[in-house]
Amino acid sequence: MARRLLTAVFAVLLICMAGCGGPDIADEDWLEKDFSAARAAAEGSTVRFYMWGGSAQINEWVDTYLAGEVREKYGITLVRVPMDASVFVNKLLTEKAAGREKGTIDLLWINGENFKACREAEALFGPYAEKLPNYNQYVDKELAAYDFGFPVEGYETPYGKAQFVFEFDPERDNGRPGSFAELEQWVKEHPGKFTYPQPPDFTGSAFIRQAFYAVTGGVDQYLKGWDQELFERNAPKLWEYLNRLEPYLWQGGQSYPKDVAALDTLFARGEVDINMSYHPMHAQNKIMEGLYPESVRTFVMKEGAIFNLHFNAIPFNASNKAGAMVVANFLMSPEAQLSKLRPENWGDFPGIDVSRLSQEQREAFEKVDLGEATLGAEVLSNAAVPEVAAEYVEALEKGWEENVLR
Amino acid sequence: MSCASAGAGRTLFKLSPLLLPLIVLFAGGLALAAAQSFGFFLPFPYEGGTLDAYRKLLEPHYLASAGLSFFVALTSAVISVAVGAVVAYLIWRLPDRLEGAAVIYKVPLILPHIAVAFIVLVFWSKSGVISSIGYHLGLVETVSEFPSVLFSGNGFGMILAYIYKEIPFTILLAYAVLKRMNPQQIQTARMLGAGEGRVFTRIVLPHMARTLHTAFIILFLYSFGAFDIPFLLGESSPGMLSIEAYNLYFRRELADRPAAMAILTCMFLFSLGFIWLYTRVAASMKSRERKL
Repeated sequence: MARRLLTAVFAVLLICMAGCGGPDIADEDWLEKDFSAARAAAEGSTVRFYMWGGSAQINEWVDTYLAGEVREKYGITLVRVPMDASVFVNKLLTEKAAGREKGTIDLLWINGENFKACREAEALFGPYAEKLPNYNQYVDKELAAYDFGFPVEGYETPYGKAQFVFEFDPERDNGRPGSFAELEQWVKEHPGKFTYPQPPDFTGSAFIRQAFYAVTGGVDQYLKGWDQELFERNAPKLWEYLNRLEPYLWQGGQSYPKDVAALDTLFARGEVDINMSYHPMHAQNKIMEGLYPESVRTFVMKEGAIFNLHFNAIPFNASNKAGAMVVANFLMSPEAQLSKLRPENWGDFPGIDVSRLSQEQREAFEKVDLGEATLGAEVLSNAAVPEVAAEYVEALEKGWEENVLR
Repeated sequence: MSCASAGAGRTLFKLSPLLLPLIVLFAGGLALAAAQSFGFFLPFPYEGGTLDAYRKLLEPHYLASAGLSFFVALTSAVISVAVGAVVAYLIWRLPDRLEGAAVIYKVPLILPHIAVAFIVLVFWSKSGVISSIGYHLGLVETVSEFPSVLFSGNGFGMILAYIYKEIPFTILLAYAVLKRMNPQQIQTARMLGAGEGRVFTRIVLPHMARTLHTAFIILFLYSFGAFDIPFLLGESSPGMLSIEAYNLYFRRELADRPAAMAILTCMFLFSLGFIWLYTRVAASMKSRERKL
């Protein structure tokens, strides 16, 4: 009896091991070859795209438009694997530590701290960016050279841009602040009607970063890389500012919404009167989904609105690097970027430089109706301020917990 | 003796297809967590010292988290066991006809914890169902005047969710024990002049005691370490330990991971210690009873 059981266990193990093999096109060194070779090799292969899966709309776009196009154009089967970035980065780092040569991830949606963590652990494939024709042709390389102040060095390719906006509903008659200085006044006049997601939530963290720029005299001083002394001199001004707000926040600052989705709910239900998003078209999307009233509008603060690019990267042990390169390249094409910009599809701003396109293509981008609630491209680009080195992000998140939360 | 141990060995061998994965995965995972809490086997370069992660846990913030976890677990387990025991007795006393109808108490048992957390969120938040009813009845002037049941810093929302889930669990266990109790004991006590309270404390409660102790340990440890309900209903500061560990592991720098592992290791040791202490206290209570 026992022997029969053991045999069964071994049989199952053997089957599993056999299943892990399969055709491989990973052994070639794609950094040495032409893109056309990768393109030919990718035909008929499968690309497993690990990405944040929290937005039904984005998932839909990837599953229908992106998957359909890469199948039609390159014969690639795209499998979307929804997972929080921190989780798949963790998975990748574990694979790296275990020395696993053939990973399960082919393509990542990544940026900022997660990219930095992967690069520091040498868990990414590259530099591959210059191999991709669309990168060379359409991307503003200066803009894409840094990801939250960390050098990209060709280990990831941009495919979208996000910018921070605030949201409010003029029909609630509470008005809105125009600057961070006015925000303090506004919050005191409307106690309980404002809060922000608890850092290190992505949006909450961006909010305190902007407040940091605003109360310490602008972003320019932080662009030269991490400066501990400068940070320690300036950060107390931010803690003072946020602590002055705290008693007037939602729940008296006892609790913060755990993420931006929780804040969205509070805003939609009217518990708070100002919402924020790192996606300029978030409000418009919510209106179209019927979750916000039509009257909701977005605005930016006088001191500026943070923007960043988001990227694709390929793990060091991706089983299908050729296919991943082809998909990353397609994501930077004008047609994919245009489809991605349409609010009904996703509403993500282009990661490529639209001014490099032909007249005709440019007009197509300009014609896209971004909706009443979305700010114009000009307002947004006038307000744009860059992200700073990840050390600042980490120091601010940590300092916030120690000086504001506790 | 040797014969018995050979028999035990054979049993162990027969169980090995089940035991081996359990031991390897559970003990292996535990050992890895402990090792990482000391800074070993980490998938990234770590510069901290061996005990740095544990030193970090001595910060007042983490001590407050431990206090909150303990408070929430203790309060919810005590309330659940106390209410559950009384309700089980009341159901047991119902006429047979109604006893069948009492199965509705099992409904919360089949709901997942996360669903219960949502129910509490929908009902008790400031813009929730209860507050709207209060507003329409004119109990509060505006919705925002509704008292903050959730997210007010005392863990009350989580306690609500836990007792909703745990009272039926206690009833289930206690009722099964009562089913085996001889009703004549109670009739005899009544005839001899025992009141309602006396019957419950001197006959029913001792009869259920062992089960209630077990239920208490299970419920306490579950609420102490669980993640799903605190994830939805937890406060920011202090947060429940499970959330603090999650934040340290996933949402912060890589260098914070040993601290997350240290929290998990401490929680495991605390749970073991709690079981040991509780069973000893329960046993000594029982022996004192016997002496009386």
